[in-house]
Amino acid sequence: MDKHISTPSPFFNTMIEIHLYGLLRKYATQKSPLKESVLYLETGGDESIQSIVNRLEIPPEELGPTLFLNGEYSGIDRRVKDGDRIGLFPPNMILAYRQYFKKVEE
Amino acid sequence: MTDHKTKVEKVPTKYVEMGGRWLTSNIIKDEVDPTCHPLGPNNKLVFAPGIVTGTTAPSSGRLSVGGKSPLTGGIKEANAGTPFSQMLAKLDVKAMIFEGKPADDKFWVVKLDKDGVSFESADDYLGKGLYEAYPLAFDKYGKKVGIAGIGVSGEMLMTNAGVCFNDIDNRPSRYAGRGGLGAVMGSKGIKFIVLDDKGTQPVKIKDRDLFNAGRKKLTDGITSNDFTKKGGMLNSLGTAALVNVINEAGGLPTYNFREGRFKGAAAISGEAIAEAVKERGGAGMTGHPCHPGCLIQCSNVYPKPDGTEHVSCIEYESTWAFGANCGIDDLDDIAEMVWQCNDYGLDTIEGGGAIAVAMEGGLASFGDGKKAIALMKEIKKGTPLGRALGCGAETIGKILGVHRIPGVKGQNMPAYEPRAIKGIGITYATSPMGADHTSGYTIAPEIAGVTGKLDPLDPDKRNVSKAFQDLTAFVDASGYCLFVTFATMENSEAFQGLVDTCNAVLGTSWTDEEVVKIGGKIIETERAFNFEAGFTEKDDRLPEFMKYEKLPPHNHVFDVPDEELDKVHG
Repeated sequence: MDKHISTPSPFFNTMIEIHLYGLLRKYATQKSPLKESVLYLETGGDESIQSIVNRLEIPPEELGPTLFLNGEYSGIDRRVKDGDRIGLFPPNMILAYRQYFKKVEE
Repeated sequence: MTDHKTKVEKVPTKYVEMGGRWLTSNIIKDEVDPTCHPLGPNNKLVFAPGIVTGTTAPSSGRLSVGGKSPLTGGIKEANAGTPFSQMLAKLDVKAMIFEGKPADDKFWVVKLDKDGVSFESADDYLGKGLYEAYPLAFDKYGKKVGIAGIGVSGEMLMTNAGVCFNDIDNRPSRYAGRGGLGAVMGSKGIKFIVLDDKGTQPVKIKDRDLFNAGRKKLTDGITSNDFTKKGGMLNSLGTAALVNVINEAGGLPTYNFREGRFKGAAAISGEAIAEAVKERGGAGMTGHPCHPGCLIQCSNVYPKPDGTEHVSCIEYESTWAFGANCGIDDLDDIAEMVWQCNDYGLDTIEGGGAIAVAMEGGLASFGDGKKAIALMKEIKKGTPLGRALGCGAETIGKILGVHRIPGVKGQNMPAYEPRAIKGIGITYATSPMGADHTSGYTIAPEIAGVTGKLDPLDPDKRNVSKAFQDLTAFVDASGYCLFVTFATMENSEAFQGLVDTCNAVLGTSWTDEEVVKIGGKIIETERAFNFEAGFTEKDDRLPEFMKYEKLPPHNHVFDVPDEELDKVHG
């Protein structure tokens, strides 16, 4: 995964950070579940979470329905901008109490 | 327990259809003076298996314990999954009710089998940790009995003492933990209740065909849902899988509810527990069932570095309570404190809450696991400090002059931050139990009639909260584990199976809507008790600091207006 910068860069607020959990940790350099597995990416202009996922080459079956953008339970078509934090979970890690969470789609 | 008289009563007509929480709360409402002292002779302690408990219905081995809570001063129902529940059902006992109070300070073992009740001295077990006392009792009464008990915290009548039950391997590890019912048991001089179901018949089912069909529907729902299926989230990673999810949502209470994200979250998560089990091997395991017949099997056995057993089970709430809430990111320290809770007879949520508030009050630094373990030891010793800690977060907070006490009705909040997840804040505020996450669980929204916006940061959540509190109350009556509701939330057939199995056991013909109404009536009964005990709408509030301290990372306060809270239960 050399194409990704995997450590905090001094320019990181012009980047987005992607927190990976469970089986998705393999896409980060730091793969141990005992620590954060984070990738830093530059956004390519007007981008959605889906296009970030595509750039990371995460196959659809490895990504679950539980996605967060800046701590908001989100749909995959939401737009991202520099400084955002994305959280991606595999299919076997799910949000409990979903009745209390509105999924932000756009 | 005043004079060891026992009486077997036929179930009164009004109680025939009731089980679990429905029954315990009704008996307490009917028989206990709401103004009585919870530790005095006029309180009662009730044990009731759920409606389908003891049958082959999946994940249905739960029982409820009820009484007036010495922690909240209101009505309390706490429940646990344990083989004990199934034995009580097979003994054909609808409810065990303990009354009175011995004149002396002796403790007793109460033994129940198909031939009746007997009392024996509990002197051999007093003052010992439960990890020592349970094996002694199983040696004496046989490996196949079920045991409910209290630890030293219950003997000393601390208001965070829970009622302990054995798990499938006879560990003292399954707790009806919340609300101090272990102290009520202690006040009545009961150390252990031993059940022997030898020679009993299976639980009677009125409509076997309906039962089998319902059982299949619910089983199919559980075994196909991503939460509850074999290898699904709960089975592979345990409830603690939620640590990373709720942390990412900014709703994991950290440093005694000062922040919503913990930098050490990964290290205390279900993934980290599973990794320790894998790396250390030995006695460690995930997918451990709390009672026979559970399809979900969400518990674990956490190993020490050398592979020997440290503790079962590290739940989401427990790893949070002693982890993020105390700023501790060392799972071995957390495991030790969960072990201490099991050994001393304490609820882990309130236990961790007390340590976090003690840290707030200067008794230790946030993150200092070794000091936290030392503070816990004071509880076992029964020192004045230990007794204060053993009475929970509000008591130790008052003593130390702490204003940031994250409780409702004197009961510490669990691991979901109400400023980040406002709907759960409404449930914390308005549950008759005090701050309780299990009061508003998940059942299919369309069944609950829930529509409209479900934004976690949107204060207009009261209808959701009401619907889920009602449905949860019914599930607590049924004997099913609340986690089956993850499956029934998205699968109305599975929910039908849940209702049908209850109908089949009882010979009733409840509809979906009727069981929701039953749940609502249970809450009404509980609120009526609390009202007569002196509670007002002013008790249905979150602590003041949550109205003015903004919680990072969302930087929200709890802004649900009081009048909205007052409308929840109408």
